[in-house]
Amino acid sequence: MKFPIKKQLFTLALCAMFAAPGLAAKAKLTDAQINEINAQYPMPTGKMLGDSCAACHGTLGAEFGEGMPPLAGMNRDDFIALMKAFKANAFPTVVMHDVAYVYSDAEIEAMADYFAAQPAQQWPHLNADGTVKTQVNATGGAQ
Amino acid sequence: MSSLSRRQLIKLFGASAVAGTGLFGFSNQAWSNKSAHIVIVGGGIGGAAFAKYLRIADANVRITMIEPNPLYTFCPGSNEVLNGHETLDNLTFNYDTFKSRFGVNMVQDKAVAIDYEKRQVRVASGQAISYDKLVVSTGPDFMFDAVEGYSAELAAGDFPHAWKAGPQTAMLKKQIDALPQGGTVVISSPDGAYRCPPAPYERASMIASHLEKVNPTAKILILDSKNSFTFDKHYWYYWTERHGYGTDKARISWIAEKDGGRAVKLDAQNKTLTTASGEKIKADVINIIPPHKASKFAVDSGLAQGGRWVPFNAKTFSSTMDPNVHVIGDMVDAPMSKTGMIAGNQAKVVAQAIVDELAGREPGTPFIANNCVAIISDDYGMTIADTHRFGGDTYLLQKRLSKVEANPYERRIRAELAKNWQRTFRKEIFS
Repeated sequence: MKFPIKKQLFTLALCAMFAAPGLAAKAKLTDAQINEINAQYPMPTGKMLGDSCAACHGTLGAEFGEGMPPLAGMNRDDFIALMKAFKANAFPTVVMHDVAYVYSDAEIEAMADYFAAQPAQQWPHLNADGTVKTQVNATGGAQ
Repeated sequence: MSSLSRRQLIKLFGASAVAGTGLFGFSNQAWSNKSAHIVIVGGGIGGAAFAKYLRIADANVRITMIEPNPLYTFCPGSNEVLNGHETLDNLTFNYDTFKSRFGVNMVQDKAVAIDYEKRQVRVASGQAISYDKLVVSTGPDFMFDAVEGYSAELAAGDFPHAWKAGPQTAMLKKQIDALPQGGTVVISSPDGAYRCPPAPYERASMIASHLEKVNPTAKILILDSKNSFTFDKHYWYYWTERHGYGTDKARISWIAEKDGGRAVKLDAQNKTLTTASGEKIKADVINIIPPHKASKFAVDSGLAQGGRWVPFNAKTFSSTMDPNVHVIGDMVDAPMSKTGMIAGNQAKVVAQAIVDELAGREPGTPFIANNCVAIISDDYGMTIADTHRFGGDTYLLQKRLSKVEANPYERRIRAELAKNWQRTFRKEIFS
Protein backbone atom coordinates (compact mmCIF):
# COMPACT_ATOMS: atom_id res chain seq x y z
CA MET A 1 0.00 0.00 0.00
CA LYS A 2 2.80 2.42 0.85
CA PHE A 3 4.58 2.24 -2.45
CA PRO A 4 1.62 3.06 -4.72
CA ILE A 5 0.76 6.06 -2.55
CA LYS A 6 4.28 7.38 -2.76
CA LYS A 7 4.34 6.73 -6.47
CA GLN A 8 1.07 8.57 -6.86
CA LEU A 9 2.30 11.55 -4.86
CA PHE A 10 5.55 11.56 -6.81
CA THR A 11 3.64 11.56 -10.10
CA LEU A 12 1.51 14.45 -8.88
CA ALA A 13 4.59 16.40 -7.87
CA LEU A 14 6.15 15.82 -11.27
CA CYS A 15 2.96 16.96 -12.99
CA ALA A 16 3.01 20.16 -10.96
CA MET A 17 6.63 20.79 -11.88
CA PHE A 18 6.13 20.28 -15.57
CA ALA A 19 2.81 22.08 -15.72
CA ALA A 20 4.22 25.38 -14.52
CA PRO A 21 7.90 25.68 -15.41
CA GLY A 22 7.62 29.47 -15.59
CA LEU A 23 6.26 29.89 -12.08
CA ALA A 24 9.32 28.68 -10.23
CA ALA A 25 11.58 30.95 -12.24
CA LYS A 26 9.34 33.98 -11.78
CA ALA A 27 9.08 33.43 -8.04
CA LYS A 28 12.67 34.60 -7.66
CA LEU A 29 12.05 38.03 -9.18
CA THR A 30 12.81 41.13 -7.12
CA ASP A 31 10.10 43.68 -6.26
CA ALA A 32 11.57 46.04 -8.85
CA GLN A 33 11.48 43.38 -11.57
CA ILE A 34 7.90 42.50 -10.68
CA ASN A 35 6.89 46.16 -10.90
CA GLU A 36 8.55 46.39 -14.30
CA ILE A 37 6.66 43.35 -15.66
CA ASN A 38 3.40 44.54 -14.12
CA ALA A 39 3.84 48.00 -15.68
CA GLN A 40 3.29 46.43 -19.13
CA TYR A 41 -0.38 46.04 -18.26
CA PRO A 42 -3.00 48.72 -17.66
CA MET A 43 -3.10 49.84 -14.03
CA PRO A 44 -5.77 48.04 -11.97
CA THR A 45 -8.75 50.30 -11.30
CA GLY A 46 -9.20 52.04 -7.95
CA LYS A 47 -12.07 49.63 -7.30
CA MET A 48 -9.92 46.56 -8.03
CA LEU A 49 -7.17 47.84 -5.73
CA GLY A 50 -9.53 49.19 -3.06
CA ASP A 51 -11.79 46.14 -2.82
CA SER A 52 -8.78 44.00 -1.89
CA CYS A 53 -8.53 46.08 1.33
CA ALA A 54 -11.99 44.96 2.49
CA ALA A 55 -10.99 41.96 4.61
CA CYS A 56 -9.38 44.36 7.10
CA HIS A 57 -11.17 47.68 6.47
CA GLY A 58 -14.67 46.40 5.67
CA THR A 59 -16.76 46.18 2.50
CA LEU A 60 -16.16 49.37 0.46
CA GLY A 61 -13.84 50.39 3.32
CA ALA A 62 -16.91 50.91 5.50
CA GLU A 63 -16.11 49.18 8.80
CA PHE A 64 -16.43 51.93 11.40
CA GLY A 65 -16.49 49.87 14.57
CA GLU A 66 -13.06 48.25 14.69
CA GLY A 67 -9.41 48.91 15.38
CA MET A 68 -8.39 48.87 11.75
CA PRO A 69 -9.78 52.21 10.58
CA PRO A 70 -12.52 52.84 7.99
CA LEU A 71 -11.52 54.16 4.57
CA ALA A 72 -14.99 54.93 3.17
CA GLY A 73 -15.44 58.68 2.76
CA MET A 74 -11.83 59.41 3.72
CA ASN A 75 -10.50 62.69 2.45
CA ARG A 76 -8.54 62.05 -0.74
CA ASP A 77 -5.47 64.08 0.21
CA ASP A 78 -5.31 62.58 3.69
CA PHE A 79 -5.42 59.06 2.24
CA ILE A 80 -2.63 59.86 -0.22
CA ALA A 81 -0.43 61.52 2.40
CA LEU A 82 -0.86 58.66 4.87
CA MET A 83 -0.28 55.88 2.34
CA LYS A 84 2.83 57.60 1.03
CA ALA A 85 4.09 57.97 4.59
CA PHE A 86 3.47 54.26 5.25
CA LYS A 87 5.23 53.43 2.00
CA ALA A 88 8.27 55.51 3.02
CA ASN A 89 8.22 53.92 6.50
CA ALA A 90 7.79 57.46 7.83
CA PHE A 91 4.67 56.85 9.92
CA PRO A 92 4.63 54.36 12.81
CA THR A 93 2.60 51.20 12.16
CA VAL A 94 2.98 47.46 12.77
CA VAL A 95 1.42 46.42 9.45
CA MET A 96 0.74 49.15 6.90
CA HIS A 97 4.37 49.71 5.88
CA ASP A 98 4.43 46.07 4.75
CA VAL A 99 1.22 46.61 2.79
CA ALA A 100 1.75 50.08 1.30
CA TYR A 101 5.21 49.59 -0.21
CA VAL A 102 3.84 47.72 -3.24
CA TYR A 103 1.63 50.54 -4.55
CA SER A 104 2.71 53.14 -7.09
CA ASP A 105 1.77 56.77 -6.47
CA ALA A 106 -0.82 56.53 -9.25
CA GLU A 107 -2.37 53.45 -7.62
CA ILE A 108 -2.51 55.23 -4.25
CA GLU A 109 -4.30 58.14 -5.94
CA ALA A 110 -6.79 55.78 -7.64
CA MET A 111 -7.60 54.15 -4.30
CA ALA A 112 -7.91 57.60 -2.70
CA ASP A 113 -10.51 58.56 -5.32
CA TYR A 114 -12.38 55.29 -4.85
CA PHE A 115 -12.62 55.54 -1.06
CA ALA A 116 -13.37 59.28 -1.08
CA ALA A 117 -16.39 58.51 -3.28
CA GLN A 118 -17.86 55.92 -0.86
CA PRO A 119 -20.45 57.08 1.68
CA ALA A 120 -18.97 57.34 5.19
CA GLN A 121 -21.61 54.96 6.47
CA GLN A 122 -21.25 51.62 8.26
CA TRP A 123 -21.61 48.54 6.05
CA PRO A 124 -24.25 47.15 5.67
CA HIS A 125 -25.68 50.52 4.74
CA LEU A 126 -28.80 51.28 6.75
CA ASN A 127 -31.93 53.31 6.20
CA ALA A 128 -32.84 56.07 8.66
CA ASP A 129 -35.11 53.65 10.55
CA GLY A 130 -32.27 51.19 11.07
CA THR A 131 -33.41 48.64 8.50
CA VAL A 132 -30.86 47.36 5.99
CA LYS A 133 -30.92 49.07 2.62
CA THR A 134 -31.92 46.63 -0.10
CA GLN A 135 -30.01 48.57 -2.71
CA VAL A 136 -26.27 48.46 -2.43
CA ASN A 137 -24.26 51.14 -4.10
CA ALA A 138 -20.63 51.31 -5.06
CA THR A 139 -18.97 54.03 -7.00
CA GLY A 140 -15.63 54.10 -8.70
CA GLY A 141 -14.00 51.63 -11.02
CA ALA A 142 -14.06 51.61 -14.78
CA GLN A 143 -17.80 52.13 -15.25
CA MET B 1 -23.27 52.91 -9.63
CA SER B 2 -21.45 50.21 -11.54
CA SER B 3 -24.23 48.78 -13.60
CA LEU B 4 -25.24 48.15 -17.14
CA SER B 5 -26.99 51.11 -18.64
CA ARG B 6 -30.51 50.68 -19.94
CA ARG B 7 -29.17 51.10 -23.47
CA GLN B 8 -26.53 48.41 -22.93
CA LEU B 9 -29.14 46.09 -21.48
CA ILE B 10 -31.41 46.55 -24.46
CA LYS B 11 -28.47 45.81 -26.73
CA LEU B 12 -27.57 42.67 -24.82
CA PHE B 13 -30.92 41.20 -23.96
CA GLY B 14 -33.50 42.97 -26.14
CA ALA B 15 -36.04 45.62 -25.18
CA SER B 16 -38.37 43.19 -23.42
CA ALA B 17 -35.68 42.48 -20.85
CA VAL B 18 -35.59 46.10 -19.81
CA ALA B 19 -39.29 46.78 -19.71
CA GLY B 20 -40.69 48.11 -16.48
CA THR B 21 -39.03 49.99 -13.68
CA GLY B 22 -37.05 49.14 -10.62
CA LEU B 23 -34.06 47.87 -12.54
CA PHE B 24 -31.58 49.04 -9.97
CA GLY B 25 -33.46 48.19 -6.83
CA PHE B 26 -33.15 44.50 -7.20
CA SER B 27 -36.24 42.54 -6.44
CA ASN B 28 -37.27 39.31 -8.07
CA GLN B 29 -39.87 41.15 -10.10
CA ALA B 30 -37.22 43.41 -11.59
CA TRP B 31 -35.44 40.63 -13.40
CA SER B 32 -36.43 39.50 -16.77
CA ASN B 33 -35.83 35.92 -17.77
CA LYS B 34 -33.54 37.39 -20.39
CA SER B 35 -31.15 38.97 -17.87
CA ALA B 36 -27.85 37.13 -17.76
CA HIS B 37 -28.01 34.21 -15.37
CA ILE B 38 -24.90 33.66 -13.27
CA VAL B 39 -24.81 30.36 -11.41
CA ILE B 40 -22.47 29.67 -8.50
CA VAL B 41 -21.55 26.20 -7.30
CA GLY B 42 -20.39 26.37 -3.68
CA GLY B 43 -21.44 28.79 -0.92
CA GLY B 44 -18.15 29.03 0.98
CA ILE B 45 -16.01 32.15 1.17
CA GLY B 46 -15.29 32.20 -2.58
CA GLY B 47 -18.88 31.67 -3.71
CA ALA B 48 -20.34 34.03 -1.11
CA ALA B 49 -17.88 36.84 -1.84
CA PHE B 50 -18.53 36.42 -5.55
CA ALA B 51 -22.32 36.64 -5.16
CA LYS B 52 -22.05 39.74 -2.98
CA TYR B 53 -19.55 41.62 -5.13
CA LEU B 54 -21.36 40.73 -8.35
CA ARG B 55 -24.55 42.16 -6.85
CA ILE B 56 -22.77 45.31 -5.66
CA ALA B 57 -21.45 45.83 -9.18
CA ASP B 58 -24.56 44.83 -11.10
CA ALA B 59 -28.13 45.13 -9.87
CA ASN B 60 -29.60 43.34 -12.85
CA VAL B 61 -28.07 39.94 -13.33
CA ARG B 62 -29.87 36.90 -12.01
CA ILE B 63 -27.73 35.03 -9.48
CA THR B 64 -28.28 31.45 -8.36
CA MET B 65 -26.15 29.74 -5.74
CA ILE B 66 -26.10 25.96 -5.43
CA GLU B 67 -25.03 24.90 -1.93
CA PRO B 68 -26.10 21.72 -0.13
CA ASN B 69 -25.69 23.07 3.41
CA PRO B 70 -28.08 25.61 4.97
CA LEU B 71 -25.28 26.94 7.18
CA TYR B 72 -21.64 27.87 6.63
CA THR B 73 -18.97 27.76 9.35
CA PHE B 74 -15.84 29.86 8.89
CA CYS B 75 -12.51 28.05 9.19
CA PRO B 76 -10.61 31.23 10.16
CA GLY B 77 -11.01 31.44 13.94
CA SER B 78 -11.91 27.77 14.37
CA ASN B 79 -8.57 26.91 16.03
CA GLU B 80 -9.59 29.27 18.82
CA VAL B 81 -12.65 27.11 19.47
CA LEU B 82 -10.22 24.51 20.82
CA ASN B 83 -9.09 26.71 23.73
CA GLY B 84 -12.56 28.13 24.31
CA HIS B 85 -11.77 31.64 23.04
CA GLU B 86 -14.21 31.33 20.13
CA THR B 87 -17.46 29.47 19.58
CA LEU B 88 -18.69 27.61 16.50
CA ASP B 89 -21.98 29.53 16.81
CA ASN B 90 -20.10 32.78 16.36
CA LEU B 91 -18.42 31.42 13.22
CA THR B 92 -21.61 30.04 11.66
CA PHE B 93 -23.86 31.90 9.20
CA ASN B 94 -26.98 31.16 7.20
CA TYR B 95 -27.71 32.44 3.69
CA ASP B 96 -30.62 34.76 4.54
CA THR B 97 -28.63 37.89 3.64
CA PHE B 98 -27.91 36.48 0.21
CA LYS B 99 -31.60 35.77 -0.39
CA SER B 100 -33.09 38.95 1.02
CA ARG B 101 -30.44 41.55 0.40
CA PHE B 102 -28.38 40.37 -2.52
CA GLY B 103 -31.29 38.80 -4.37
CA VAL B 104 -29.62 35.44 -4.75
CA ASN B 105 -31.74 32.43 -5.62
CA MET B 106 -30.48 29.78 -3.18
CA VAL B 107 -30.73 26.18 -4.35
CA GLN B 108 -30.10 23.86 -1.42
CA ASP B 109 -28.83 20.90 -3.36
CA LYS B 110 -25.59 19.27 -4.42
CA ALA B 111 -24.19 20.00 -7.86
CA VAL B 112 -23.12 16.77 -9.53
CA ALA B 113 -22.24 17.55 -13.16
CA ILE B 114 -21.71 20.27 -15.75
CA ASP B 115 -23.01 20.02 -19.31
CA TYR B 116 -20.66 22.47 -21.02
CA GLU B 117 -22.44 22.23 -24.39
CA LYS B 118 -25.88 23.01 -23.01
CA ARG B 119 -24.49 25.33 -20.32
CA GLN B 120 -26.28 23.51 -17.55
CA VAL B 121 -25.42 22.32 -14.06
CA ARG B 122 -27.16 19.19 -12.88
CA VAL B 123 -27.96 18.84 -9.19
CA ALA B 124 -28.47 15.67 -7.17
CA SER B 125 -32.27 15.94 -7.25
CA GLY B 126 -32.07 15.72 -11.06
CA GLN B 127 -32.85 19.34 -11.96
CA ALA B 128 -30.73 20.99 -14.67
CA ILE B 129 -29.95 24.67 -14.06
CA SER B 130 -29.01 26.73 -17.13
CA TYR B 131 -26.33 29.39 -16.90
CA ASP B 132 -24.78 32.12 -19.00
CA LYS B 133 -21.72 32.15 -16.75
CA LEU B 134 -20.83 29.52 -14.18
CA VAL B 135 -18.60 30.12 -11.16
CA VAL B 136 -17.28 27.07 -9.34
CA SER B 137 -15.82 27.42 -5.85
CA THR B 138 -16.08 24.01 -4.24
CA GLY B 139 -12.87 24.09 -2.21
CA PRO B 140 -10.51 21.22 -1.52
CA ASP B 141 -10.99 17.55 -0.92
CA PHE B 142 -8.80 15.48 1.40
CA MET B 143 -6.31 12.78 0.37
CA PHE B 144 -7.08 10.34 3.16
CA ASP B 145 -5.00 7.61 1.50
CA ALA B 146 -1.76 9.54 2.22
CA VAL B 147 -1.99 7.96 5.68
CA GLU B 148 -2.77 4.25 5.38
CA GLY B 149 -5.72 3.26 7.54
CA TYR B 150 -7.18 6.79 7.70
CA SER B 151 -10.52 7.51 6.03
CA ALA B 152 -13.40 9.97 5.73
CA GLU B 153 -15.40 7.64 8.01
CA LEU B 154 -12.75 7.79 10.77
CA ALA B 155 -12.52 11.57 10.32
CA ALA B 156 -16.28 11.84 10.89
CA GLY B 157 -15.91 9.67 13.99
CA ASP B 158 -13.11 9.45 16.54
CA PHE B 159 -10.29 10.88 14.39
CA PRO B 160 -11.48 14.33 13.24
CA HIS B 161 -9.17 16.27 10.93
CA ALA B 162 -11.25 19.36 11.76
CA TRP B 163 -9.84 21.06 8.67
CA LYS B 164 -13.36 22.01 7.65
CA ALA B 165 -14.84 23.81 10.62
CA GLY B 166 -18.00 22.29 12.07
CA PRO B 167 -18.87 19.05 13.90
CA GLN B 168 -15.30 17.78 13.61
CA THR B 169 -14.03 20.93 15.37
CA ALA B 170 -16.48 20.28 18.21
CA MET B 171 -15.35 16.64 18.38
CA LEU B 172 -11.67 17.60 18.55
CA LYS B 173 -12.42 20.09 21.33
CA LYS B 174 -14.29 17.40 23.24
CA GLN B 175 -11.28 15.08 22.93
CA ILE B 176 -8.84 17.77 24.09
CA ASP B 177 -11.11 18.54 27.07
CA ALA B 178 -11.24 14.82 27.96
CA LEU B 179 -7.48 14.35 27.66
CA PRO B 180 -6.14 12.45 30.71
CA GLN B 181 -3.64 14.34 32.88
CA GLY B 182 -0.23 14.10 31.21
CA GLY B 183 -1.82 12.71 28.01
CA THR B 184 -0.52 13.10 24.47
CA VAL B 185 -1.98 14.88 21.44
CA VAL B 186 -0.43 14.15 18.05
CA ILE B 187 -1.02 16.44 15.07
CA SER B 188 0.05 15.28 11.60
CA SER B 189 0.74 18.27 9.33
CA PRO B 190 0.61 17.72 5.55
CA ASP B 191 2.89 18.62 2.67
CA GLY B 192 1.76 20.22 -0.58
CA ALA B 193 -0.62 23.16 -0.74
CA TYR B 194 -3.25 23.13 1.99
CA ARG B 195 -5.68 25.55 3.61
CA CYS B 196 -4.07 28.30 5.71
CA PRO B 197 -0.36 27.33 5.87
CA PRO B 198 0.34 28.38 9.51
CA ALA B 199 -2.89 26.88 10.88
CA PRO B 200 -1.58 23.44 12.04
CA TYR B 201 0.98 25.26 14.23
CA GLU B 202 -1.58 27.79 15.36
CA ARG B 203 -3.81 24.85 16.32
CA ALA B 204 -1.01 23.22 18.33
CA SER B 205 -0.40 26.55 20.07
CA MET B 206 -4.09 27.08 20.94
CA ILE B 207 -4.26 23.57 22.39
CA ALA B 208 -1.01 24.21 24.32
CA SER B 209 -2.25 27.47 25.83
CA HIS B 210 -5.36 25.63 27.03
CA LEU B 211 -3.48 22.59 28.38
CA GLU B 212 -0.99 24.83 30.16
CA LYS B 213 -3.86 25.89 32.40
CA VAL B 214 -5.84 22.67 32.84
CA ASN B 215 -3.41 19.85 32.09
CA PRO B 216 0.13 21.24 32.44
CA THR B 217 1.98 17.93 32.02
CA ALA B 218 0.20 17.02 28.77
CA LYS B 219 2.28 16.92 25.56
CA ILE B 220 1.64 17.92 21.97
CA LEU B 221 3.66 16.31 19.21
CA ILE B 222 3.57 17.71 15.68
CA LEU B 223 4.60 15.18 13.04
CA ASP B 224 5.38 17.13 9.90
CA SER B 225 5.60 16.04 6.28
CA LYS B 226 7.60 19.25 5.62
CA ASN B 227 10.91 20.69 6.82
CA SER B 228 9.74 24.27 7.32
CA PHE B 229 6.48 26.18 7.54
CA THR B 230 5.01 29.69 7.41
CA PHE B 231 6.02 31.72 10.51
CA ASP B 232 8.13 28.77 11.76
CA LYS B 233 10.73 31.03 13.44
CA HIS B 234 7.95 32.81 15.35
CA TYR B 235 6.48 29.55 16.58
CA TRP B 236 9.86 28.08 17.59
CA TYR B 237 10.73 31.31 19.40
CA TYR B 238 7.50 31.51 21.36
CA TRP B 239 7.33 27.76 22.08
CA THR B 240 10.90 27.96 23.46
CA GLU B 241 9.97 30.91 25.62
CA ARG B 242 6.65 29.55 26.88
CA HIS B 243 6.45 25.80 26.38
CA GLY B 244 10.00 24.51 26.89
CA TYR B 245 10.39 23.76 23.19
CA GLY B 246 13.57 21.80 22.51
CA THR B 247 13.90 20.51 26.11
CA ASP B 248 12.89 17.17 27.61
CA LYS B 249 9.99 19.00 29.34
CA ALA B 250 8.64 20.45 26.11
CA ARG B 251 4.87 20.90 25.99
CA ILE B 252 5.13 21.17 22.17
CA SER B 253 7.54 19.16 20.03
CA TRP B 254 7.89 19.34 16.26
CA ILE B 255 9.45 16.62 14.12
CA ALA B 256 10.49 17.68 10.62
CA GLU B 257 10.06 15.39 7.62
CA LYS B 258 13.82 14.94 7.40
CA ASP B 259 13.86 13.68 11.00
CA GLY B 260 11.16 11.10 10.34
CA GLY B 261 8.12 13.32 10.89
CA ARG B 262 5.97 12.05 8.06
CA ALA B 263 3.03 9.99 9.37
CA VAL B 264 2.26 7.11 7.00
CA LYS B 265 -0.07 4.75 8.85
CA LEU B 266 -2.87 4.93 11.39
CA ASP B 267 -3.84 2.02 13.61
CA ALA B 268 -7.21 3.32 14.78
CA GLN B 269 -7.86 0.38 17.08
CA ASN B 270 -4.68 1.01 19.11
CA LYS B 271 -4.59 4.80 18.57
CA THR B 272 -1.13 4.50 17.08
CA LEU B 273 0.54 6.41 14.24
CA THR B 274 3.50 4.99 12.35
CA THR B 275 6.04 7.35 10.80
CA ALA B 276 8.01 6.94 7.56
CA SER B 277 11.03 5.83 9.59
CA GLY B 278 8.94 3.07 11.19
CA GLU B 279 8.49 4.61 14.62
CA LYS B 280 5.17 3.86 16.31
CA ILE B 281 3.60 6.64 18.37
CA LYS B 282 0.65 5.97 20.65
CA ALA B 283 -1.45 8.97 21.58
CA ASP B 284 -4.67 9.86 23.36
CA VAL B 285 -5.75 12.24 20.60
CA ILE B 286 -4.67 11.83 16.98
CA ASN B 287 -5.41 14.75 14.65
CA ILE B 288 -4.38 13.94 11.07
CA ILE B 289 -4.62 16.86 8.66
CA PRO B 290 -4.60 15.11 5.27
CA PRO B 291 -2.97 16.56 2.14
CA HIS B 292 -5.42 18.39 -0.12
CA LYS B 293 -6.50 18.16 -3.73
CA ALA B 294 -9.26 19.83 -5.75
CA SER B 295 -12.83 19.00 -4.71
CA LYS B 296 -14.60 15.91 -5.99
CA PHE B 297 -16.93 18.13 -8.04
CA ALA B 298 -13.93 19.80 -9.71
CA VAL B 299 -12.58 16.36 -10.59
CA ASP B 300 -15.90 14.77 -11.62
CA SER B 301 -16.91 17.75 -13.76
CA GLY B 302 -13.60 17.60 -15.61
CA LEU B 303 -12.44 21.05 -14.46
CA ALA B 304 -9.32 19.55 -12.84
CA GLN B 305 -8.48 18.02 -16.24
CA GLY B 306 -6.91 14.96 -14.61
CA GLY B 307 -4.63 16.97 -12.30
CA ARG B 308 -4.56 17.59 -8.57
CA TRP B 309 -5.73 21.23 -8.91
CA VAL B 310 -7.87 23.17 -11.39
CA PRO B 311 -6.04 24.98 -14.23
CA PHE B 312 -7.13 28.58 -14.84
CA ASN B 313 -6.53 31.61 -17.05
CA ALA B 314 -4.66 34.17 -14.96
CA LYS B 315 -6.52 37.32 -15.96
CA THR B 316 -10.12 36.31 -15.28
CA PHE B 317 -9.86 32.96 -13.48
CA SER B 318 -11.82 31.34 -16.28
CA SER B 319 -11.30 27.62 -16.75
CA THR B 320 -8.76 26.78 -19.46
CA MET B 321 -11.37 24.41 -20.90
CA ASP B 322 -14.36 26.75 -21.10
CA PRO B 323 -14.37 30.58 -21.03
CA ASN B 324 -17.91 30.60 -19.61
CA VAL B 325 -16.83 28.78 -16.47
CA HIS B 326 -14.79 30.59 -13.80
CA VAL B 327 -13.00 28.88 -10.94
CA ILE B 328 -12.01 30.34 -7.57
CA GLY B 329 -10.64 29.43 -4.18
CA ASP B 330 -8.68 26.56 -2.69
CA MET B 331 -9.31 24.15 -5.59
CA VAL B 332 -7.54 26.37 -8.16
CA ASP B 333 -3.94 25.82 -9.26
CA ALA B 334 -3.03 29.44 -8.52
CA PRO B 335 0.51 30.41 -7.39
CA MET B 336 -1.01 31.73 -4.15
CA SER B 337 -1.56 30.50 -0.61
CA LYS B 338 -4.84 28.73 -0.01
CA THR B 339 -6.51 31.27 2.27
CA GLY B 340 -9.97 32.71 2.73
CA MET B 341 -8.74 36.19 1.91
CA ILE B 342 -7.30 34.93 -1.39
CA ALA B 343 -10.57 33.16 -2.24
CA GLY B 344 -12.52 36.34 -1.46
CA ASN B 345 -10.23 38.52 -3.54
CA GLN B 346 -10.19 36.06 -6.46
CA ALA B 347 -14.01 36.22 -6.27
CA LYS B 348 -13.88 40.01 -6.71
CA VAL B 349 -11.62 39.64 -9.76
CA VAL B 350 -14.12 37.21 -11.29
CA ALA B 351 -17.12 39.41 -10.41
CA GLN B 352 -15.49 42.39 -12.12
CA ALA B 353 -14.43 40.29 -15.14
CA ILE B 354 -17.98 38.98 -15.64
CA VAL B 355 -19.46 42.48 -15.31
CA ASP B 356 -16.96 43.70 -17.90
CA GLU B 357 -17.64 40.79 -20.26
CA LEU B 358 -21.42 41.23 -20.03
CA ALA B 359 -20.95 44.90 -20.90
CA GLY B 360 -18.73 44.01 -23.86
CA ARG B 361 -15.59 45.47 -22.25
CA GLU B 362 -12.16 43.91 -22.01
CA PRO B 363 -11.71 42.86 -18.34
CA GLY B 364 -9.28 45.05 -16.41
CA THR B 365 -5.97 44.09 -14.84
CA PRO B 366 -6.49 41.91 -11.76
CA PHE B 367 -4.86 42.55 -8.39
CA ILE B 368 -4.97 40.15 -5.44
CA ALA B 369 -3.77 40.89 -1.92
CA ASN B 370 -3.44 38.39 0.90
CA ASN B 371 -2.81 40.38 4.05
CA CYS B 372 -3.24 37.67 6.63
CA VAL B 373 -2.79 37.14 10.31
CA ALA B 374 -1.96 34.22 12.57
CA ILE B 375 -1.51 33.89 16.30
CA ILE B 376 0.55 31.79 18.69
CA SER B 377 -1.29 32.98 21.77
CA ASP B 378 -3.59 35.74 22.92
CA ASP B 379 -0.55 37.97 23.21
CA TYR B 380 1.55 37.02 20.19
CA GLY B 381 0.33 37.60 16.64
CA MET B 382 2.04 37.67 13.24
CA THR B 383 1.16 39.36 9.96
CA ILE B 384 1.94 38.52 6.35
CA ALA B 385 1.51 40.84 3.37
CA ASP B 386 1.33 38.97 0.06
CA THR B 387 0.65 40.98 -3.08
CA HIS B 388 -0.09 39.03 -6.25
CA ARG B 389 0.66 41.17 -9.31
CA PHE B 390 -0.64 40.22 -12.72
CA GLY B 391 2.17 38.94 -14.94
CA GLY B 392 0.42 37.93 -18.17
CA ASP B 393 0.12 34.15 -17.87
CA THR B 394 0.61 34.02 -14.11
CA TYR B 395 0.86 36.08 -10.92
CA LEU B 396 4.03 37.50 -9.37
CA LEU B 397 4.37 37.53 -5.62
CA GLN B 398 5.65 40.38 -3.47
CA LYS B 399 5.81 39.21 0.12
CA ARG B 400 6.68 40.51 3.59
CA LEU B 401 6.32 38.83 6.96
CA SER B 402 6.46 40.47 10.37
CA LYS B 403 9.71 39.76 12.20
CA VAL B 404 10.24 37.58 15.25
CA GLU B 405 9.29 39.92 18.03
CA ALA B 406 10.37 40.28 21.64
CA ASN B 407 8.51 43.56 22.19
CA PRO B 408 5.31 42.67 24.09
CA TYR B 409 3.40 45.63 22.65
CA GLU B 410 4.06 44.69 19.04
CA ARG B 411 3.24 41.04 19.73
CA ARG B 412 0.00 41.92 21.45
CA ILE B 413 -1.23 44.46 18.91
CA ARG B 414 -0.73 41.90 16.13
CA ALA B 415 -2.75 39.36 18.13
CA GLU B 416 -5.51 41.98 18.48
CA LEU B 417 -5.28 42.72 14.75
CA ALA B 418 -5.77 39.01 14.11
CA LYS B 419 -9.03 39.01 16.09
CA ASN B 420 -10.06 42.28 14.42
CA TRP B 421 -9.34 40.71 11.01
CA GLN B 422 -11.49 37.66 11.76
CA ARG B 423 -14.49 39.75 12.83
CA THR B 424 -14.28 42.15 9.89
CA PHE B 425 -13.62 39.35 7.41
CA ARG B 426 -16.73 37.43 8.48
CA LYS B 427 -18.85 40.57 8.02
CA GLU B 428 -17.15 41.29 4.70
CA ILE B 429 -18.06 37.87 3.32
CA PHE B 430 -21.46 37.17 4.88
CA SER B 431 -23.17 40.56 5.37
